[in-house]
Amino acid sequence: MARMRIRLDPWPVDLEGGQLTLAPFQGDLIDIETPRWAAIPARPLPQGLRRVYVVDGKRRMESRVFLEDAHGSAGMGGFGAFVVGAVSLCPHGTRPAELLDVRAQRVLAHAPDLLVNPTQLSPRDPHTGQLLYTPVATEGSDPLAPLHRLQALMLNAEQDLSHAYASSVPFDETDDTEPLTALTLQDGTLRRGGATLGGAVVGYVKTMQTQYLPPDRVGLLSGLKPGERTPILHMKSETGRSTRFTWYVRLCEAAFYQHPMSGVMRLEMYAPPEPDFLPRTVREVANLSGTLLCRLGSAPHKDPRAPQNLIPTAALEQAMTRAMGSADLITRRIRAHIAAAYGQEAVA
Amino acid sequence: MVLGTQDVTPVSFWFAVLPGASVQLDDLVVVGTRKPDGAEVRFYGIVDHVRTRHEGVTFDSDVQDVVAGLLPASVSYAARVLVTRVHPENFIPPQPGDAVRHARDADLRMALSADKMGDKAFPGGLLADGQVMPINYRFVNGENGGHINISGISGVATKTSFALFLLHSIFRSGVMGASASAGRALIFNVKGEDLLFLDQPNRDVTAREADAQAQKGLPRSRYALMGLPAEPFRDVQFLAPPRPGSSGTIVAHVEQRASGVTPFLYSLREFCLRRMLPYVFVDRDASVNLGFVIGSIEERLYRLAQGADTPYLTVEDWQPDTEQLLDEDVRFDEMGGVRLSTFAQLVAYLEYKLLDANDGEGDRRWVGKQAPATLQAFIRRLRGVQKHLTPLVRGDITVTQAAQYRPDPLKAGVQTTVVDIHTLSATAQMFVVGVLLRDLFEHKERVGRQDTVFVVLDELNKYAPRDGDSPIKDVLLDIAERGRSLGIILIGAQQTASEVERRIVSNAAVRVVGRLDLAEAERPEYRFLPQSFRARAGILQPGTMLVSQPDVPNPVLVNYPFPAWATRKDEVDDLQGRAAQEVGEDWLR
Repeated sequence: MARMRIRLDPWPVDLEGGQLTLAPFQGDLIDIETPRWAAIPARPLPQGLRRVYVVDGKRRMESRVFLEDAHGSAGMGGFGAFVVGAVSLCPHGTRPAELLDVRAQRVLAHAPDLLVNPTQLSPRDPHTGQLLYTPVATEGSDPLAPLHRLQALMLNAEQDLSHAYASSVPFDETDDTEPLTALTLQDGTLRRGGATLGGAVVGYVKTMQTQYLPPDRVGLLSGLKPGERTPILHMKSETGRSTRFTWYVRLCEAAFYQHPMSGVMRLEMYAPPEPDFLPRTVREVANLSGTLLCRLGSAPHKDPRAPQNLIPTAALEQAMTRAMGSADLITRRIRAHIAAAYGQEAVA
Repeated sequence: MVLGTQDVTPVSFWFAVLPGASVQLDDLVVVGTRKPDGAEVRFYGIVDHVRTRHEGVTFDSDVQDVVAGLLPASVSYAARVLVTRVHPENFIPPQPGDAVRHARDADLRMALSADKMGDKAFPGGLLADGQVMPINYRFVNGENGGHINISGISGVATKTSFALFLLHSIFRSGVMGASASAGRALIFNVKGEDLLFLDQPNRDVTAREADAQAQKGLPRSRYALMGLPAEPFRDVQFLAPPRPGSSGTIVAHVEQRASGVTPFLYSLREFCLRRMLPYVFVDRDASVNLGFVIGSIEERLYRLAQGADTPYLTVEDWQPDTEQLLDEDVRFDEMGGVRLSTFAQLVAYLEYKLLDANDGEGDRRWVGKQAPATLQAFIRRLRGVQKHLTPLVRGDITVTQAAQYRPDPLKAGVQTTVVDIHTLSATAQMFVVGVLLRDLFEHKERVGRQDTVFVVLDELNKYAPRDGDSPIKDVLLDIAERGRSLGIILIGAQQTASEVERRIVSNAAVRVVGRLDLAEAERPEYRFLPQSFRARAGILQPGTMLVSQPDVPNPVLVNYPFPAWATRKDEVDDLQGRAAQEVGEDWLR
């Protein structure tokens, strides 16, 4: 009888879900690169690739509010902030990495049909600036609607940022004129639209919440060596609404006490709905992805989600948190502002 | 911009240096902040810390990722300022975000309180960026304070050079106004014959200054920037002790300089009349009784010397063992007396009076009630210094010679007097310094404070040690404590201020520190240096000093130019600036 084995999920327990959840995938999966299911070694980075952008976003609800407008309508809302940003780096290490466009935006999400003036939180003194919240209406009056609205705004901004930087991916067999010079790595799955967005944007999925591979293929994931990848697959979601090219890479060896897929990450790129051919750029990106990600992967003593949480991402997250300002301080200023603007003295 | 992540106080704050800007230690900066009522308060200060670090990274090893271009991090370049002045005096803190600028021109004058000095400022050196550092003359000449003290380890040859540079600056910058010609300097040369060429141009100065100018990127030479002529000292007299053993002719005891050095000496009668005996004894406090003996003998000698004006003394109550040859010019009233014409004879006479007369009892009026042991100690000490003082205190000279070779630092037409004492033994050095300073002090007590006299004395720790007592130390203390009101300014130097009498160092208004031993720098005498300066005092290069003056609460680092006067014989510009060929033609003619 085989011995029972227990192995650890490498991620901290207070994160929502572990690295491994493995819900079975119900959509379609097609071999588009090769029918031979075997590890493909990483290739060196092409000299032409000079810019890699790592894009991420972050949001925060700062205060939930109950709003009553001048006409007597009332509803829920919330003061929130989101920030998206990018790290621009040269994969060959020719220049220092820099943070791009890390700027917080603040919104006052409120129930629809309320008349809301742009809310200005007045500064306390001339040295610490002002907080300006732009009102946006939510889609419903669900108490969570403001949070969802905030999330949607963030994702859109993230998407826009990703595509603003990347080289375009020609989805036409005859058109391969544009070389791959700029690549965007985006934290999480690609969420919106499809191939129409274009752009060499790679979504990297750190967790394995869905088990896309059929049981006879999963074994390869444990067998990958650092830098190696699986062949590219064409994937269509259960609903059929989104299509992606996807592949797995391993960033580092799993420690003996960790589950064998702990260093593995799934990558995806936009794909046209009909899987007729694999664009050259996608194959190029897949080939270099192992080399690039092994270089960008962080170390466990520095980041609990290593190596999947990339070095630039960790820095970016830190910068984004900083850009939103101290939550305690902002909550306090919102309260002070409301007290000053609508308090008893103001009424009297 | 003033940092908001560190405490900002009215006396010290950190600021961030923006990309493209740079700031170094000792830079003077200014920051303005506005009070709620709109009034501006400006803070002037000196940078005493600069540092850079990676910002936004957590681990030391992150630097590899940053350099590899993977991890975005910014370099935080920040500097700490010690505030030297707040104007107007509202001690509010600056606000984070206030812009910090280099202090230039008017701001620089404010930062160094030059506005308070007015026309009483003289250049004390150049700041790191080539701007002139003014020193308030009122704190040098005794008006508000006086005296300059310089510390630094030897071998880096900076103490005397800086003292001379300050003198040059005081004399030639015009800060003394109309009385410039009246200022005088008395310089004791204790080491080598370095200072015997002060009146000669230095042949290296042009090249060295051009070098320094190029290195520091200055618009003009350092002398020009400070408005000082690159010239040697003027109106200098050189005094040196006579060569020992030459009884007939009196020749100055110097090796390198052939002419222009006047020998100096005292007549035996002056020695007694002007009560120089105590200055022979450097360890007066060895026993209390010895002090009494010295006092009473001093008085006896004084009385003995009364009534005549010959350089020698005549005594009637002594028959020395050796046959005295009668000189031809013996005077009638000396008939029957014995002439004391050398220091050795004086000692022999004293020995007779104290120990031998009356069959070993001594002359009762001279002996007093002192025990023989004390008297013997007294004579033994005198014998010990006899050899060293014999060339200096003489009776075998004519009255004219005595007057001619009497050292007079206040001689008309002389601005700077260099007294070379490096050939003398330690005791004789003490004697010369003590007697000269005492005379000077007594003279100034009579005439008052016009004509400031600057006394440059190296190795103060020898003349005024912290422990022990000596007549020289008393004179120096008098000068330190009362001299400034009489117009005697002590420019003292020593390796270790901790070994000098505390009252002398603490009386100096301007304090200068060159390179220090790091252990020495931690002693309480250097508390006026902030900690960061104390640490840095160990790495100062020659030509760089930290200057502290009452107007500016923090010391300021300055460098000063290469001397325009020769400090060694081989530096003398004997061509006077002309080409060698021209000079050669003069000779051939």
